[in-house]
Amino acid sequence: MTVDDERVARARNGDRDAFRRLVEGETRPLYAVAARITRDAALAEDAVQEALFNAWRHLRDFDGRANFKTWLHRITVNAALEQLRRRSGREQFLADAAQTDDGAEDFLAAHADDLPGPEQLAGGREIGLKVQAQLDRMTHLERSAFVLRHHEGQSLEEICGVLAINVSACKQAIFRAVRKLRGALEPLR
Amino acid sequence: MDAIRDTDLILYHYRDGLSADELAAIGHALSASAALRARYAALQATLLAADAVPVPAADTEFERRIWQRWEAQTEAGPSDRRHAIEPRTDRRPRHRAGTRALLRVVGGALALVAALGVGFLLGRQPAGPMLTAGTGTGSPPATTQRDIATRVLDAYVVAHLRETEGVVLTAVNSDNAALLAGNRELAAGLLESNRLYAQAATRAGNARLANFLQQLEPLLIELANPAPTDAIQGSDGLRDYVDKTDLLFQLRATQARIEPQRPTSI
Repeated sequence: MTVDDERVARARNGDRDAFRRLVEGETRPLYAVAARITRDAALAEDAVQEALFNAWRHLRDFDGRANFKTWLHRITVNAALEQLRRRSGREQFLADAAQTDDGAEDFLAAHADDLPGPEQLAGGREIGLKVQAQLDRMTHLERSAFVLRHHEGQSLEEICGVLAINVSACKQAIFRAVRKLRGALEPLR
Repeated sequence: MDAIRDTDLILYHYRDGLSADELAAIGHALSASAALRARYAALQATLLAADAVPVPAADTEFERRIWQRWEAQTEAGPSDRRHAIEPRTDRRPRHRAGTRALLRVVGGALALVAALGVGFLLGRQPAGPMLTAGTGTGSPPATTQRDIATRVLDAYVVAHLRETEGVVLTAVNSDNAALLAGNRELAAGLLESNRLYAQAATRAGNARLANFLQQLEPLLIELANPAPTDAIQGSDGLRDYVDKTDLLFQLRATQARIEPQRPTSI
């Protein structure tokens, strides 16, 4: 039994200190994923707050099949999405999912030879600002799907479960997100 | 595999959503076609640009705020663990809540007295010399004293708004009877301090804050004295009210306005 397993067991029996020790090293990574999804510091903090509360309340539902931290990340992602839904309304979120397939048209070939190199990308403030602007331009669904796939490494199947959409809608959301990001590099050609 | 599209390249990059045959076909096509390699390089550059965006970081007080609220939210025990909690813990939060409510009222009153006291002293001072910094008299200039008074009050109001936010969140999200009982006492304590801060804001000429705090009062009264209806209906009604009025957003926006050093967007 690992230290984390032991803490999970103690926390399940109401040991608040064990829960805190289990989670406290994770709060900043949780904040980072929530902030990537919400693009708003206050919403991200609320998402982490809600996630910790929900994790504590539903600790008995944690069946141990997944890593505890993975479970906690999923709860945080859901809390971040819930914050967005509350902010923008469930209808908008569903409307995002119902968007037509406008990501099918190819876009990578355009001016592919003139793209900035890795060093320019890493150090370029102007590029960074443009990418951030594109992230802001994405719909909640596009950004959530992209963050989960690209930054969180979740599979399409997992993302479908989290976002409650089908595989096709999930793929399209990621395609549209990548397409918008590609737009951030276009003016540099 | 027919013509390879950008969408295929994206799935290939993540090794997700494609069969093994499709992955192999794209791999071979990449080896054979410089144009396709250029498109794939464009995709990689695009994703690298996303990686280059700094990871959002919370401010230094983040953990303290998170755990402070978590303690407040959970001190009566998680709702689905009510059988695991010993009976004495049922009384403990009530005692704590009562003590905290008393401390809050006393703290609020002290803050109010401090703010009004500094304001009173300022009113007795001749305006000219006091507005000049570094007069060598040993007493801080009036603007500094006013700043201190404002900051003292602001700090208390921010803490008050955070606690109000916590109480609202608990009322909306929790179905634990013990937790809700403690929450009612917290709301009652907040009601008293809310009135004090509204008065202080009015006296300080901050009509916007005073109005907002006055708008909170009916909600705090409701939270402190919930109608004896079905708990689910009650929490649903409250949830609707909070959603429709965007109350949580207003609470956070007001906190952010008072506390400008805390970033509100990334």
